[in-house]
Amino acid sequence: MLRVVIADDSRVMRQIVVRTLRQAGYEWDVTEAADGAEAFAIARAEQPDLVLSDWNMPNMTGIDLLRALRAAGDDVPFGFVTSEGSPEMREQADAAGALFLVAKPFTAESFRDVIEPVLA
Amino acid sequence: MSTLAPFMTAQIEAIAEEVFAAMVDGEPGHLVPLPAPAELTDPLYAWVDMHADVSGRALIATDVTTAHALARALLGMPDDEPVGEADLVDAFGEVANVVGGNLKALLPVQGTLTLPRVGRPVPALAGATKVDEVALSWRGLPLDITVWQI
Repeated sequence: MLRVVIADDSRVMRQIVVRTLRQAGYEWDVTEAADGAEAFAIARAEQPDLVLSDWNMPNMTGIDLLRALRAAGDDVPFGFVTSEGSPEMREQADAAGALFLVAKPFTAESFRDVIEPVLA
Repeated sequence: MSTLAPFMTAQIEAIAEEVFAAMVDGEPGHLVPLPAPAELTDPLYAWVDMHADVSGRALIATDVTTAHALARALLGMPDDEPVGEADLVDAFGEVANVVGGNLKALLPVQGTLTLPRVGRPVPALAGATKVDEVALSWRGLPLDITVWQI
């Protein structure tokens, strides 16, 4: 079973992401993180198969989380799930090494579209 | 000083309808435009601020009972299950966050988006200018979205 870390400061949104992943057919082992700093610690300690992260979070933002992971030599597959899907942010995400950016609101199809290529 | 240009009403309605269809209801058709804002009897507010070359606020207002129903829908809770204050604030704030984030993406100059806030008094808007107002009905319950230059 794949292990995924879901980082979002909203417990409600984490729950919606988990529910939507299940609707998309992904029955994964999920670990939740309430901000980027917590996600960084979990990702480094547990070496998950994928990190799905919000962008705008207290303590450490999603983009800072991704940059910190890469700076630490951690190449864990990483995708953003964020309400701000502007072209500028997609460019920043891509430049930092993210595999994809899913804009909220999302559907099960939104996740399948970006995750299937990662699993292939 | 730069000014925040109004969004098109249709853009705000389309974003709100998409947010509710995907996150709240799981299907479209439950959030519809109203011809004019309905009076709220016990309003609760959720908002995010956008800061770029201009600063704006996306503010959602609805009755407390509607916000509770929204939280139950977002969390997949039964209709009669009580909602805790933390979940209420989290859920209603996240609706404002997603609506505000999508509106910010339409701005010509990107900037930062604050974390969402939720409160019962009208948030301080001294000197602010209302640039948009969209009246909506979610499952027959009034919900208003306004955008302010702050």
